[in-house]
Amino acid sequence: MFFRLLMESFRRQRRRKMLAGVAILLGTTAVTAMLALATTIGDRIHKELAVYGANIVVYPKADLLDVKVGGVDLKPASGGAYLKESELAKLKTIFWGNNITGVSPELPALMAIARKAGDPLIAVNAVGYWFDHDFNTFKTGAPTLHPWWRLEGSWPIPRSNPDSRSVVVGTNLAKKLGLKIGDTFVTQGTQSAPSSRLTAIVAGIVTTGGEEDNEILLTLHDAQAYVGANDAVRRVEVSARTKPEDAFARVDPDSLSPKQREIWYCRPYANSIAYQIREAIPGAQAEQVRRVEQSEGNVLKRISGLMWLISAAALLAAGFAVSAAMATAILERRGEIGLMRSLGASKGSIALLFYAEAGLLALIAGTIGYLLGSGLAAWLGARIFAGDGVAAEAVLIPVLLPVVVALALVVAIAGSSPSIRTALRMDPSTILREDA
Amino acid sequence: MVKLSLVGMLRRSLVHRRARSISALVAMTVSAGVATALLTLYADLDAKLHKEFRSFGANIVLSAPASAPLPTNALARVQEAAGPDALAAEFAYAVATTDTGTPVVVAGTDFAAVRRLDSWWQVQSWPDATATDAALLGQRAAQFIGNEHAVALTFAGHSITLNGAGRIKTGGDEDSRIYMPLAAFTAWAGVGPSVIELQVPGGAAKVEATMARLRQEFPEMQVQPVRQLVEGESKIVDRTHALMYGAVLLIALTVAVSVLATLSASVLERRRDFALMKALGGSQMQLMGMFLLEALVLALAGVAVGFVVGSAAAWAISEGNFHTATLPRPSVLPLVLLLNVAIAAMAALFPARVLRGLQPAALLKGE
Repeated sequence: MFFRLLMESFRRQRRRKMLAGVAILLGTTAVTAMLALATTIGDRIHKELAVYGANIVVYPKADLLDVKVGGVDLKPASGGAYLKESELAKLKTIFWGNNITGVSPELPALMAIARKAGDPLIAVNAVGYWFDHDFNTFKTGAPTLHPWWRLEGSWPIPRSNPDSRSVVVGTNLAKKLGLKIGDTFVTQGTQSAPSSRLTAIVAGIVTTGGEEDNEILLTLHDAQAYVGANDAVRRVEVSARTKPEDAFARVDPDSLSPKQREIWYCRPYANSIAYQIREAIPGAQAEQVRRVEQSEGNVLKRISGLMWLISAAALLAAGFAVSAAMATAILERRGEIGLMRSLGASKGSIALLFYAEAGLLALIAGTIGYLLGSGLAAWLGARIFAGDGVAAEAVLIPVLLPVVVALALVVAIAGSSPSIRTALRMDPSTILREDA
Repeated sequence: MVKLSLVGMLRRSLVHRRARSISALVAMTVSAGVATALLTLYADLDAKLHKEFRSFGANIVLSAPASAPLPTNALARVQEAAGPDALAAEFAYAVATTDTGTPVVVAGTDFAAVRRLDSWWQVQSWPDATATDAALLGQRAAQFIGNEHAVALTFAGHSITLNGAGRIKTGGDEDSRIYMPLAAFTAWAGVGPSVIELQVPGGAAKVEATMARLRQEFPEMQVQPVRQLVEGESKIVDRTHALMYGAVLLIALTVAVSVLATLSASVLERRRDFALMKALGGSQMQLMGMFLLEALVLALAGVAVGFVVGSAAAWAISEGNFHTATLPRPSVLPLVLLLNVAIAAMAALFPARVLRGLQPAALLKGE
């Protein structure tokens, strides 16, 4: 009987159910979409912030001091310490190895070049980088860590021919020498043999707005061959997904108790990732780039904070809307309540029927709303953050389903509660007479 | 018989069914409040976000060519060209030798200006502004200095001993440098400032405009944007802006449809009243007008309360999230009013189709 009442009520009063149902549906859609956006906003903004480049730098601990003024490096070319390129593979093995999203080693060298054979040589800075290097499961290198670099042509390609090398030239240098893509020029063959010569082919011209505009960019392997130091890198830039720094992140891990230290170690702070890099690569010093890391944390915190607050506002608005709609739906049906009571139904069984209706409605509309909201969030996210090369991510966040449906249930039942109680308190004969 | 005026009917209709009126009023208040809060936040969003991005430091660098140092009043002129809310600091550089014989870059600057501009520097203690011989040591540079408290430096035969105030840590080039007050630096090394770092608040367009002005003012100097900062900032502000826009629309839609549901339910529920009025000679237009008026009164009351509540919510959100207050913006009021009135009008007119087909006799008979 109870189920029949329930079913008939849904079958016959379709319009009334529609009103409350649509309110719940829209409420849950909005809340699901906002929550789904708020939970993924951190990752999305982090990807956007990747344009600021690396947030951790690694250099050899025993290195000489950089003496760099206005893009001119006065550091003695000889001496200094190197890291080993082969040891960079160890970055994958650290605790937060999966959070490392980009690695770019570099090896600077002073190179003598001339436009044509026989011309006087001029000295320029050259830097060896990775370009599109296979690292772990992803490809990385200087272009991915410096997304603001503008390239015409293509990045240097490793050459099998030992007599020539493919390079990219900074825009200012290219202008000075009158170089275009596809041109060749003459470079010193190796640093140790000043009279040796090699041909270089300009594969591309890069504009960076920085020192690189006056430099030559070549593959790390070519730079190592030129310097005569196999496997050597001078500095490594690392981009990692990190947790914004808080007071706990700033403490010195060696001063903590073993348990606290473990907690510190297992949080993806820039400091703890740097610490793990120092542990993994002997002789390396890793530091967070404070300009990027500190400010990134700030911006990230503000934007995700804003999203959460907006989600809370959406929740509140949806809650109000749903409970208002539920109250209306019950208010409309006082006549029914009066009739049932006069036919001998107990207050409890009537209340149960109405709560069951509200619950069923919340369950159905909430689930549909969850699906719609997830779709909407995915669509909005894809539209707003389009063109970042973001891999297709899971559209549905399963955790949200029980949360959203439970919220819908609570709000629907709480919203209908006062009106049910008022209706039950009234004398059935008064209601029926008023209705007639 | 007492003749009922329109106002009297309206008043009775609102007062008599108090529960219904209150639930409709709450719905209208929520819709106005949410619209006010979101629009107020939205209007302020760009300014707030750009403010957050100031922590990234300089976004324009002016450098003088090696042959000609900066004119003495350059900093004041740059500040004037960039506007009063821009932050600027000048730097002079020289390569000196430490007491252990290592070459090191020494920079002269104004500590107070740098402290404001480069808030990400981690400094043990900033030296006193009046101290003329204080020095900040980059954490890598410090390793090449014998005595960190009395830092002895030599440049072109002139030596100076500075009072080391502490170390700085940035993870950038600053780690390998020593910073000292500009006046003492110029007196010692005889080199004037050659670089001005400038932080202009605002997006790419504003930075471009400032750069154009600076290039005109200082044709001999190189004016360069810090490209990753300028591009990144505009991109993120735009994205957040779009996200917020989506959120505003979504929430507004939810609230609107719910209000619509509540109000039109109230119309449909009172079919009997309408049947009676029709039977007594009311025209369709009169009835609709009556109903529209009722909805409008509720909408206006909702805007009045909702604007106050919404402004308070916007204030609380920005105080909590951005730590700056957002004042109520009367400029959002027309839009909120328009939105609420539109919702109310739709809610009143939506059931018109149902009412038009109404057969007073049948309804009153109870069919």
